[in-house]
Amino acid sequence: MLAPIYEFSADDVVVIIGSGAGGGTLANELCQRGLKTILLEAGRHITPAEFVNDDWAAYEMLSWLDKRTASGNWRVARDHPNAPSWHCKLVGGTTVHWSGCTYRLTQAEMQARSLYGDVPGTSLIDWPLSLAELEPYYDQAERKMGVTRTNGLPAMPPNNNFKVMYWGAKRLGLREISTGRHAINTVPYDNRPATIQDGFSVSGDQHGARWSTLNVEIPKALESGRLDLRASCRATGIEHDNNGAAKAVIYVDANGITHRQAAAVVVVAGNCIESPRLLLNSASGRYPDGLANGFGHVGRHYLRHIIQTVWSIFPHPVNMHRGELMGGLIADFSRHDPSRGFAGGYYIELNAMGLPTTAAFLNPGWWGRDFADVIAQYANMAGIFMTGEDMPQPGNRVTLSETETDAFGVPVANLHYDDHLNDLLMRNHGYKTLTAIHQAAGATRSIEAPAYPASHNLGSNRMSAKPEDGVLDRNGEAHEVKNLFIADGSAFASGGACNPTLSIVALAIRQADFIAKRAQS
Amino acid sequence: MKTVHGRVTAFKDPKLPTAIAIPKGPEWAQVLKNLTHAQAETLVSVIRTLCPHECLDISIYRRAVSHFDRLAAAAEVAGTIDRFCEAIVSGWPLAFGALAETYRVQALQRLQETAEFMFVQRMAVRYLYDDVEVWAAFGYQGASVHLGGYVGRGFNDLDWLPDLPNDL
Ligand SMILES: Cc1cc2nc3c(=O)[nH]c(=O)nc-3n(C[C@H](O)[C@H](O)[C@H](O)COP(=O)(O)OP(=O)(O)OC[C@H]3O[C@@H](n4cnc5c(N)ncnc54)[C@H](O)[C@@H]3O)c2cc1C
Repeated sequence: MLAPIYEFSADDVVVIIGSGAGGGTLANELCQRGLKTILLEAGRHITPAEFVNDDWAAYEMLSWLDKRTASGNWRVARDHPNAPSWHCKLVGGTTVHWSGCTYRLTQAEMQARSLYGDVPGTSLIDWPLSLAELEPYYDQAERKMGVTRTNGLPAMPPNNNFKVMYWGAKRLGLREISTGRHAINTVPYDNRPATIQDGFSVSGDQHGARWSTLNVEIPKALESGRLDLRASCRATGIEHDNNGAAKAVIYVDANGITHRQAAAVVVVAGNCIESPRLLLNSASGRYPDGLANGFGHVGRHYLRHIIQTVWSIFPHPVNMHRGELMGGLIADFSRHDPSRGFAGGYYIELNAMGLPTTAAFLNPGWWGRDFADVIAQYANMAGIFMTGEDMPQPGNRVTLSETETDAFGVPVANLHYDDHLNDLLMRNHGYKTLTAIHQAAGATRSIEAPAYPASHNLGSNRMSAKPEDGVLDRNGEAHEVKNLFIADGSAFASGGACNPTLSIVALAIRQADFIAKRAQS
Repeated sequence: MKTVHGRVTAFKDPKLPTAIAIPKGPEWAQVLKNLTHAQAETLVSVIRTLCPHECLDISIYRRAVSHFDRLAAAAEVAGTIDRFCEAIVSGWPLAFGALAETYRVQALQRLQETAEFMFVQRMAVRYLYDDVEVWAAFGYQGASVHLGGYVGRGFNDLDWLPDLPNDL
């Protein structure tokens, strides 16, 4: 079916900005519910045939590389001052890059404020919805994504890196060890092939075993005949009507021409830096501090998870580059346990990178004999990773530069992040655990690598029960601006510990139900 | 000196350009378009000090410098490299490459906090370890989809730990 082209003046369409996990999923779900949908995506629409098996060439092909600045006491600001956050710019967003770990939030995590109590310096809140409300959507998300170990789909087979983690953890007496759950086919499913363990899912996944909005949601939305996909189109502002409700999106197309697209509903899904940036850049007489920013929360409470890797050298080969990259999970530390001295939990997972990016991320700035000796033992190296809950702080935030604009005239974003004491205590606990696991498996040397640019970006337009605590209500609609929704990870009320994408997808499906129901009435 | 670990056959993705050939001997400098020969020789010694691997042929380090040369087409990068190459010899009686390792390390340490050093060090790591000959030397096999992935080529061949249970 030929894709429709809606008129710029069509005010009965939903306009979604960003085609990643949130936006791409929502677009398909709305199309399946019969709604006319326009999907604006800043990046190109490329086919898997273009993808390469190559760390750097893929990074340069897929990533959002527009300049940003960074501040705060996090090490990322020093190591990656112009690229503090790691996500993509192309049709499919960061689902073209991701490694497919798919875990659910827990009810306890969704009541972080109630459970952790008053952690000084934080701005913790509870989610304005319960796990029970989200569960049916998690079920749908797992089905559409083909998550291993759900719906009768087989688990990821263990690889070499897993074997190292498993025996280390076993010898330490840990119990909740498995290959985990992934939106990567282990058997053919939904017209996608089974993995061939190529190890290049983060380079775009040319083989196509892994779910992405590029290879699943957007093709289905296009088949429905209701999606108008506009790639290489950069939204620069959102307009509202006299009643303050969202009504149009301003964007610049591939030829540099500015358009104004009318909309019945506007959904922002540009990931955690771009979404608040767009709201802040859409200030008007009625909303002088930016759209939906009446209580000043847009861009604040930014979260990035406690993510870090320990790379260890073993006396014998590991060959961690062979196979899917993150096929392992240890859940023993995932629950809140005040006896550890910090709030929240963390999951242990695997990490593997090619030689080029391992060398770059091992410890940016490290050089000399010691560095060279370590990297030369790449074949004998294993990687183990953690993702844990970081604490929301109002000062950790996205702001707009007062002096510098990008090629579209939009102020450059600054990302500020200070580690909270709780974050440092969890990092410390995590490093010790990860290193102990590798040592128990026979490691002769472990390197506690610093966090790389933020890959789990969350919280910067958060949902809240009370308008004064956040930006969005429980459906992801702005408290202040009717018909303005957020569908990406910035909507999270708190971070939880696990990789966020399954939750972003579940929330987007739930939001589609809400938007479609309202459209009917 | 470290032994070479796990030399393998490594593949760059067939869709990407192959690595440029570097002539043996001093005529290698003919590949340069933007750097002076002296700057290029300094950078070769600098990268060998930052990332010292005796097992790697000098032509691999020269190829890394050829990437610096390409980047130096941009005036900003050329300026950074000019400043770095001046600073790294300043105060020393000999060319950087003529210094013993002890002094080469000292010279680099003195510049460690400068933006120029950071650029050179990051780009050294960026390009040296992106070289398919380095991959082969250190056991990274590289591109795999065109070979059918690793499903039948050792993704689970680790044999120095006990077998795993079946219920993972
Ligand atoms: C290397 C890596 C590995 C990861 N692995 C995992 C994993 O295993 N499990 C997991 O759960 N998560 C993983 N993640 C995180 C996951 O990819 C993200 O959480 C998720 O994709 C975020 O979804 P999103 O909808 O918020 O944004 P994205 O998927 O980033 O999509 C945002 C899109 O919006 C577009 N956009 C932004 N601004 C504009 C604008 N002004 N106009 C038009 N378009 C715009 C962008 O170009 C982009 O395409 C990983 C991330 C990285 C970087």
